[in-house]
Amino acid sequence: MRKELTKKKHLSWDDTIPEGLHERIEARQSRRDFLKAASIAPAALYLSGCDKPASTSASTPEQLALLNKAPWNTFSAVQNHLFPKDDESPSAADINATGYLKSVLELPGIDEADKKFIRDGVNWANDLSRKMFAANFHQLNTDKKELVLIQISKSSAGESWLSLLLLYIFEALISDPVYGGNTDKIGWQWLEHTPGFPLPPENKRYHLLR
Amino acid sequence: MNDYDVCIIGSGAGGGPVALTLSEAGYSVLVLEKGPWFNEEDFFKDELACCRRSVYTPQLKDEMHVLEDYDGKNDDGSYKWQAQSTLESGSDFWNGNCVGGSSNFMSGYFYRLKPKDFRLLSEFGKIEGANVVDWPIDYEAMEPYYTKAETVVGISGKIIPHKHQEPRSTADFPYPPTAEHAVSGLIDKACLELNMQPLPTPRAILSRPSGDRRSCEYSGFCGSYGCSSGAKGSSRAALLNKAIKTGHCKIQPHAKVYKLSSDQAGKVTSADYYDENDQKQSVSAKIFVVACQAIETSRLLLASTGPKHPDGLANNSGQVGKNLLFSAGGSGTGEFTYKQFDAALAQNMKQRGPFVNRGLQDWYFIDDKEFGAPAKGGVIDFLLRHPNGISKANGEKWDDNGKLMWGKPLKQKLKTVFAETQYLRFEVFNDWLPTDDCFVSLDETVKDKWGSPVAKIRLGYHDHDLKVGRYLADKSEQVLHQMNASNVRSSVSGAPPPNLVAGGCRFGNDPATSVLNADCQAHDAENLYVTDGSFMPTGGSVPYTWTIYANAFRVADIIKQRL
Repeated sequence: MRKELTKKKHLSWDDTIPEGLHERIEARQSRRDFLKAASIAPAALYLSGCDKPASTSASTPEQLALLNKAPWNTFSAVQNHLFPKDDESPSAADINATGYLKSVLELPGIDEADKKFIRDGVNWANDLSRKMFAANFHQLNTDKKELVLIQISKSSAGESWLSLLLLYIFEALISDPVYGGNTDKIGWQWLEHTPGFPLPPENKRYHLLR
Repeated sequence: MNDYDVCIIGSGAGGGPVALTLSEAGYSVLVLEKGPWFNEEDFFKDELACCRRSVYTPQLKDEMHVLEDYDGKNDDGSYKWQAQSTLESGSDFWNGNCVGGSSNFMSGYFYRLKPKDFRLLSEFGKIEGANVVDWPIDYEAMEPYYTKAETVVGISGKIIPHKHQEPRSTADFPYPPTAEHAVSGLIDKACLELNMQPLPTPRAILSRPSGDRRSCEYSGFCGSYGCSSGAKGSSRAALLNKAIKTGHCKIQPHAKVYKLSSDQAGKVTSADYYDENDQKQSVSAKIFVVACQAIETSRLLLASTGPKHPDGLANNSGQVGKNLLFSAGGSGTGEFTYKQFDAALAQNMKQRGPFVNRGLQDWYFIDDKEFGAPAKGGVIDFLLRHPNGISKANGEKWDDNGKLMWGKPLKQKLKTVFAETQYLRFEVFNDWLPTDDCFVSLDETVKDKWGSPVAKIRLGYHDHDLKVGRYLADKSEQVLHQMNASNVRSSVSGAPPPNLVAGGCRFGNDPATSVLNADCQAHDAENLYVTDGSFMPTGGSVPYTWTIYANAFRVADIIKQRL
């Protein structure tokens, strides 16, 4: 005898469905939440004045130059707060998370609306930061940064934005160094993660496969 | 004069055996494949390419599905269904779209069906609300082709007699089992202590080289990844590469078939497709074989109206798309910290590469008063947690209360999960009963980038599936507890795994209730065959691929006789 059906998601078989499905759904969910939130939030203007160099251990001159420019100075400050330096493990800066995120936003493969959501979040974070502490996010000290991120995470769109930034930090931490993150395989070493083989050469990165 | 003897639409497990058999017999064969043509030289252990970007599947903005989920009841008691495009929801329903299809990306757990699976209605009786039927053929008709697949596709394993062992015409597999992980011995010990019989899992993975294909190289990244050694028995590596060498088989990638045109007599006359430059092309053949994986096969037939097929090709009884099947069941996990083992075993438990290769078939048929009347059960497979690191890390960013974590607590958690813990998982496979609430139709508004209506899939399931799945998951949890795993948990639901799909064009003897006859030839289009998993009227409780390969070899022989 048939009983009542229950509402379900397509998501319980984490390894029998294609890997990454959860996150793609999450990405889309984020976009919709943000659009909802954006419609009730005041329009944000992006301000780029008063920039100071971000604290960083990025190694190349190009990476350093990038981190001084908007919006990357904000991305870098948020990423390094989410994934800070300590004695045992690499920071967002150590894995070139900001440069990696920049290339993700430039390459095909991510939905344009999702990219816009990630970029727009910078304005939103700085708006909130100025409202709370009269300065842009990257200019705040660690305690104030924490308070701003806690406040951001209280809205579902804000939480989705931070969640997406974490996702791309993890990509920078664990993807093959050929994509620009995971500098000198530092992420794999810290996590004792054994990668598979063969690993992708430059000319076989995902966006070059046809 | 036709362009080809045979035109096959789709190059996966349903298309490959037909292409190989008929090209070896000297017939001219064209295989039209929607996706690109990747080879071993294109497959790397790249989590971004395999699993985080749409490289082997279409971009959802170009091609999507519409999924219909249960959404409560109407006032009159009927079910309400909520439809949403996967472009909106993000729940990607594609599998592999490239030469060789999703067989490139399978884990290769290979099981035959058993004789009783061919006659579930006769063996176990009617289940209210389910459309269970017997098959028009029996196991004996399929057995030679299961055996053929073992050699031609390349299946490794070891036969151990057990109470549900299906009959075989050969003593054992042509390839010995692939190398096994240290955890397999612990599973064996626990199962024997519980009076269960652990069995080696056959795999469509070479444990020795064969022709141009190398043996498995044990990178540990198998399911979801294309195989760079050629060891995995994909349709491309095992069958199509050989078919091309005959000189009689042409593979056309980037060829999206949008319609099969038919004449006044109802015969199929051409496959009409968009090429890589989105230009319309058309090709004629004596015989057309459709093998686009179940959902897209039904979609193509429904879209292919003609003078004798006003509601879609082979759909004069309204059966195309009906009784779609997934695989029911669920999965579970238990955890081990390396500290709980001595140093040598801890090192082996960390090892990446070898396969677990263990399953249980003790409850393939359930005869247990606590469960109820004798019933069809299923199989349990054990496996290590998928090694994809990004996916693993991303799953750990929420705390126990569902709050986002960051900073030091997050980093400590990652270190524990990656460096200190091994996760043993299990998957339960049981029959997804065919019902009136699981089917494919054409969406009335949503179209793909070429302007064709996309497949709309209603995703209803039968509660009996959950009862069987839970029974098997509880047995599996006992094994993990016996192994002293911690945090043992499991989930059984009606969520359809998109990669385990069949049905929609069931075969049968009565044209009023089936799409295909016992030869997988359309009842009402005599030069049309369907050779993917669509033909299955009931699913069986194992992954479908071996049965799809076997049946496609069987139908290929039938077509060869006819040509």
